[in-house]
Amino acid sequence: MGVFKLASCDGCQLTLLGCEDELLALAERVEIAHFPEASSRLDPHGTFDLVLVEGSVSAPFQRDELLSIRARAKKLVTIGACATSGGVQALRNGRDVKGFIASVYATPEYISTLDDSTPVSAHVPVDYELRGCPIDKRQLIEVLTALLVGRRPNIRDESVCMECKRQGNMCVLVTRDEPCLGPVTHAGCGALCPSFDRGCYGCFGPKEQAKTSALAARFQRDGMVPVELVRRFRGITAGAEAFKKEGERHE
Amino acid sequence: MRRIDRSQLEQLCHLAQRDGRTLIGPTVRDGAIALAPITTAADLPVGWTDVQAPGRYRLSRTQGQRAFDFVVGPNSAKEQFFKPREPLYRAERRADGRVGFVAIVPEPEKRALLGVRACDLAAIAVQDAVFVEGAMRDPRYASRRADTLVIAVHCTRAGSLCFCASMGTGPKVNSGADLALAEREHDLLIEALTPAGEALLAQLSSEEASGEDLRWLDESVESARASMGRHVDTRAVHERLFAQLEHPRWKEVADRCLSCGNCTSVCPTCFCSTTEDRSDLDGSTAERDRLWESCFSREHSELHGHAVRGSTEQRYRQWLTHKLGAWVSQFGASGCVGCGRCIAWCPAGIDLTEELAALSTSDARALMPVAAPCAEEGRDEAMVPSPARVLSVTRESSDVVTLALAIDEPRPFAPGQFYQLSIPGIGEAPISVSGRDGAGVEHTIRAVGSLTRALCELSPGSELGVRGPYGRGWPMRELAGAPVVVVAGGIGLAPLREALRQMLADPQQYPDVRLFYGARTPEDLLYAREMLGWTDRRGFQLSITVDRSSPTWRGNVGVVTRLLKRSTVPDAARAILCGPEVMMRFTIQALARLGVTHDRIWLTMERHMKCATGHCGRCQFGPYFVCKDGPVFRYDEVASLFGRDGI
Amino acid sequence: MSERTFSVDLMTRVEGEGRFSLTVRDGKVIDASLAIFEAPRFFEAFLQGRSTHDVCDIVARICGICPIAYQMSAARALESALGLRTTPEIEQVRRLIYCGEWIESHALHVFMLHAPDFLGYESAIEMARDHKPLVERGLRLKKWGNRLIEVIGGRPSHPVSPRVGGFSRAPSKAALLAIRDDLARGVEESIETARWAATLPMPDLSCDYVFAAITGTSDYPLEFGTHIAVSGRGEWPVEQWGDVMVERHVRHSNALQATLADGTPYLCGPQARLHHHRDKLNPVARQLADELSLPATVDNPYRSIVVRAVELTHAFAEALAIVDRYERPEQAYVEGAMRAGVGYGATEAPRGLLWHRYELSADGTVAKATIVPPTSQNQARIEADLVALGPSLIAMEHKAATVRAEQLIRSYDPCISCATHFLELEINREDVP
Ligand SMILES: Cc1cc2nc3c(=O)[nH]c(=O)nc-3n(C[C@H](O)[C@H](O)[C@H](O)COP(=O)(O)OP(=O)(O)OC[C@H]3O[C@@H](n4cnc5c(N)ncnc54)[C@H](O)[C@@H]3O)c2cc1C
Ligand code: SF4
Ligand code: SF4
Ligand code: SF4
Ligand code: FES
Repeated sequence: MGVFKLASCDGCQLTLLGCEDELLALAERVEIAHFPEASSRLDPHGTFDLVLVEGSVSAPFQRDELLSIRARAKKLVTIGACATSGGVQALRNGRDVKGFIASVYATPEYISTLDDSTPVSAHVPVDYELRGCPIDKRQLIEVLTALLVGRRPNIRDESVCMECKRQGNMCVLVTRDEPCLGPVTHAGCGALCPSFDRGCYGCFGPKEQAKTSALAARFQRDGMVPVELVRRFRGITAGAEAFKKEGERHE
Repeated sequence: MRRIDRSQLEQLCHLAQRDGRTLIGPTVRDGAIALAPITTAADLPVGWTDVQAPGRYRLSRTQGQRAFDFVVGPNSAKEQFFKPREPLYRAERRADGRVGFVAIVPEPEKRALLGVRACDLAAIAVQDAVFVEGAMRDPRYASRRADTLVIAVHCTRAGSLCFCASMGTGPKVNSGADLALAEREHDLLIEALTPAGEALLAQLSSEEASGEDLRWLDESVESARASMGRHVDTRAVHERLFAQLEHPRWKEVADRCLSCGNCTSVCPTCFCSTTEDRSDLDGSTAERDRLWESCFSREHSELHGHAVRGSTEQRYRQWLTHKLGAWVSQFGASGCVGCGRCIAWCPAGIDLTEELAALSTSDARALMPVAAPCAEEGRDEAMVPSPARVLSVTRESSDVVTLALAIDEPRPFAPGQFYQLSIPGIGEAPISVSGRDGAGVEHTIRAVGSLTRALCELSPGSELGVRGPYGRGWPMRELAGAPVVVVAGGIGLAPLREALRQMLADPQQYPDVRLFYGARTPEDLLYAREMLGWTDRRGFQLSITVDRSSPTWRGNVGVVTRLLKRSTVPDAARAILCGPEVMMRFTIQALARLGVTHDRIWLTMERHMKCATGHCGRCQFGPYFVCKDGPVFRYDEVASLFGRDGI
Repeated sequence: MSERTFSVDLMTRVEGEGRFSLTVRDGKVIDASLAIFEAPRFFEAFLQGRSTHDVCDIVARICGICPIAYQMSAARALESALGLRTTPEIEQVRRLIYCGEWIESHALHVFMLHAPDFLGYESAIEMARDHKPLVERGLRLKKWGNRLIEVIGGRPSHPVSPRVGGFSRAPSKAALLAIRDDLARGVEESIETARWAATLPMPDLSCDYVFAAITGTSDYPLEFGTHIAVSGRGEWPVEQWGDVMVERHVRHSNALQATLADGTPYLCGPQARLHHHRDKLNPVARQLADELSLPATVDNPYRSIVVRAVELTHAFAEALAIVDRYERPEQAYVEGAMRAGVGYGATEAPRGLLWHRYELSADGTVAKATIVPPTSQNQARIEADLVALGPSLIAMEHKAATVRAEQLIRSYDPCISCATHFLELEINREDVP
């Protein structure tokens, strides 16, 4: 197994180190051949049964690296919002990044960056996606275990509401008009935000059939102004198609 | 009818907790009235009421001291008995080295439910019908439910979203409870409906209710009935709904629906569930969990990697037609009790009463089946596999193998029935019986996904889990005496093989049997050698075709319906079909042209399955559960829905 | 003439992606650079126009290891801009969750990143083969830190409850009591950890540090301070820090480097905190420092592993004390009206001083954001240390010398992901009127 990083905060690979109870058992089953954050033993050019890729493609060298990694990986799993939707840095998408770098730096060639921050799947085929900013530890273990035994990972593409209700939380949207993206957000976090008395801000990105317009209509009925609607959908997973479009609709 | 002072509530709470009984009652939590374990009357929402509107729920202070001055919160008795998530079994290696499956069933639990409304009593009855009164009993639900003391409350005020009066479930408590309360500012009326209730009431200090008390109760209940916030027209609603499957309103509501599943989660009757297989990293133990699922999620209708109900429109239609329509065929009662929860807790504020009214633009009715008979009666079904061992493996083609299994304590099976085969930590899937080989039960499996791939890799001696047999098989009795046309496509021959073997072994009963079989390529033909052997039998005709030829192939090329079109079938012939849905659709047309009417055709339906016992809702097909009402259906039973998108 | 270059193209066991290079000619260092090539992520730019309430969620994403530090510095700065005052009860919860982050981050660094250097392994996982109890202890301590964060904030990275004014929900006493025993064991085990760390063979190196840490309260600095103390220079209010240090963009890096105005590199982090505040350590940790004869001024960067271990004890002991006297706050957060203003906030991230400055518009949206993370501040100092180390490497075999240099950089626990959020700062200044 190899762990590679593109543009990101390291939180997702840290989740792997955060599997304190499972890490050593995992290391017994799986040879972790490349994981720079945890080991000086590197194999950047090796071949892998499984590669975890964290981070978005934000600079040209990352695109090249990614193509090379894909060619050497039997299975490639993207981990986290950066890798699956471009991440928080996708907030820059649509802005004239090159323009402002040139205006600031005497030697702009030293700064290499792409205009957009894009998900891994925009560049190479991906076998499995783990959502979240950061990914959920239980989901990470599930994917690793499932791949080891050969089952389809139990990663449910359902709304955060489903998890929220299974947990017996009170709905923050219905009881307090707290703007919550849970109904259109991919489950996996265990409905954390509502469990902590706040609305979901969509860090797992949109679920399938995400009817963002219907949720925006509700927020509007509750008095939300368009500029705030834009901010709601343009958050941690702003690069994800459904959220991006909904944000644009209210601009 | 007796009267008690408000102060007796404390005593009531106390008595309800005797013998280690857990008291579940209403209490204020996080801005709503929740149902949770409580210990004293002080935990009750005294002086609180709820104000509800579509997509909106607020608590509000009252001037009074009533403890039951609200209608319903988001919780119901459902989560007490049917847990949002619970383990079903654990698979582990036993001392003798074999795989063992250990059921995880809770110890019987003692519970008291306080403050249950009439609509929720009806909901409990509906869930009882699903989980304990059907042909298969769910022991988990049953053991939590068995010893429950129910203290209900008559509704003397209706909420703005209530429509129990329309659904005929309230506002008055009639049955389903041990005690029924009616609350006034300073006192409560109380009535025992069962001996257990009487025993409890005897320990409260109470007095006989006066005539005036009784009049108050009648009037209050009547005024609640008259002031229901919502109303629906329930006349033949299940038949009217199924006549509106193409109504434009479905699309319209889908624009507003978030497909979030909140409605199904808060609904006190929704029972759909899914399962998850878990295992630890070193693979030494595996568990299977059951958890709440919703028809609004993609996975619930997944079949072969795509969703049968891919769009929100189809999912909303499934929900409403099931709740108010199919339920009636499945369980003989509506799935909606009129509590209004799904209206309040829908973030988009979608109101099913309004949708229903909008869909009721015509009086057209669809003929609906009455509750279908079931293959088995009153069996405790813990959803736990028994161990089985692979006796032999026969490779049929590049991706198909036949496994002969030795099953611990086998039950007799009929051709067309299926087993749930499982491999711990990987999954479970329905696989038809394809025959019997001495002591072994045969299954022919095509590797398409993770579980089937793992099954196809088993070798003699490997262990796995099996449950079954389940479902309604081929109508062997109806087929007897008539010419039988058998049409199979691809792996569809597997469920037919045992039926063919039995028919061929009994020429007296089945003198004329014609098999039309199509496969993708000559290499994909199943049971080729065995079929050749059958051709010696008098009265048997075999026609084979392939989609794509190979250099050595001398036979027919083309779809199986082409073979049919070229032949004739005897009068009064009966047909049995198994294959992909499109193939079956064209076959039925071809057969109709040959004079085989819909009531003489049987086919198997495929839907994904989790429980196979009518509990998980996964295999629903209109008014049916494919797992127990099928998988074999007579075509006229399903003709109006067969081949339609998103059912 | 002899010239040797020691370099590593992808540094390992640090957060983020960087390389370093050190060239020694005729016994003199002619070039030392810590290059940060991690792609820039432009945080300050996307903070513009965001509502005050979005800031804590966004800045957390700068760093997966110390998100709470970002959330706390941001919340502080925004509260000061809005004139909000939190309650002492809320502040207790803040310190508690911050302790969790120190524990998690320090345990990660001490056991997983730094220890393998001393014991000669490539990773903690490899080290576990020979030193299983040690690695297990590390994982345990780290887990207890993470559990503490989870109870308060939901998850270890990017916790969801911290917000401007406090927390969206304060933990229940029962939830904290459920982890109390772990914290108590954490105190014990972290003491053992420090004792063990003190026995590790330390390469010789003595640096002449200028230490910077927040100050201004009677406590060892963590989630709050009014001033910033610079050894030998004086103290400045947090508001003035932007004038005291300067940042420049160096060619080899996607991050900015900070130095004092006169160009002097300075160090922040555990050694700086100890230097300024050793006497304010929690008594248990202070006693431990005494036992280990750990002076206030630790000038050997390799020895920072001991300082971190002592801070680990401090964090566990503080957390335990807070849990023991905890009562759930009536109010989990305070609220106030939006208004225009400028606010500053500084807290002590595990790696050191983290300074935020926000300018708010009248509607409470961010007009301008400036964030100075610890690694940017330490980067110049790290390069200076490489220069100091250079001559001693000449006599060493190449591989060992390279490892030694990498180990030095690792001693500072640099967080490169944090450092690269920076680039946009410059852009901002040109771009925003
Ligand atoms: C009553 C009944 C009887 C049956 N009898 C037989 C029989 O006799 N023999 C037989 O072979 N089959 C039979 N089936 C079908 C069999 O049950 C299914 O093929 C089986 O459930 C597949 O399970 P699986 O875990 O192998 O595949 P799954 O992993 O569930 O995948 C099934 C399909 O989905 C695709 N898929 C998997 N993962 C994904 C993904 N993440 N995204 C998109 N697509 C994906 C796969 O490619 C595959 O096509 C029967 C079904 C029923 C209902
Ligand atoms: S509730 Fe939403 S924002 Fe919060 S952790 Fe879950 S997915 Fe992320
Ligand atoms: S469908 Fe709605 S109103 Fe009917 S029982 Fe379910 S939640 Fe209540
Ligand atoms: S009807 Fe309402 S609650 Fe149900 S899935 Fe649609 S939006 Fe969600
Ligand atoms: S109801 Fe569960 S499979 Fe049919």
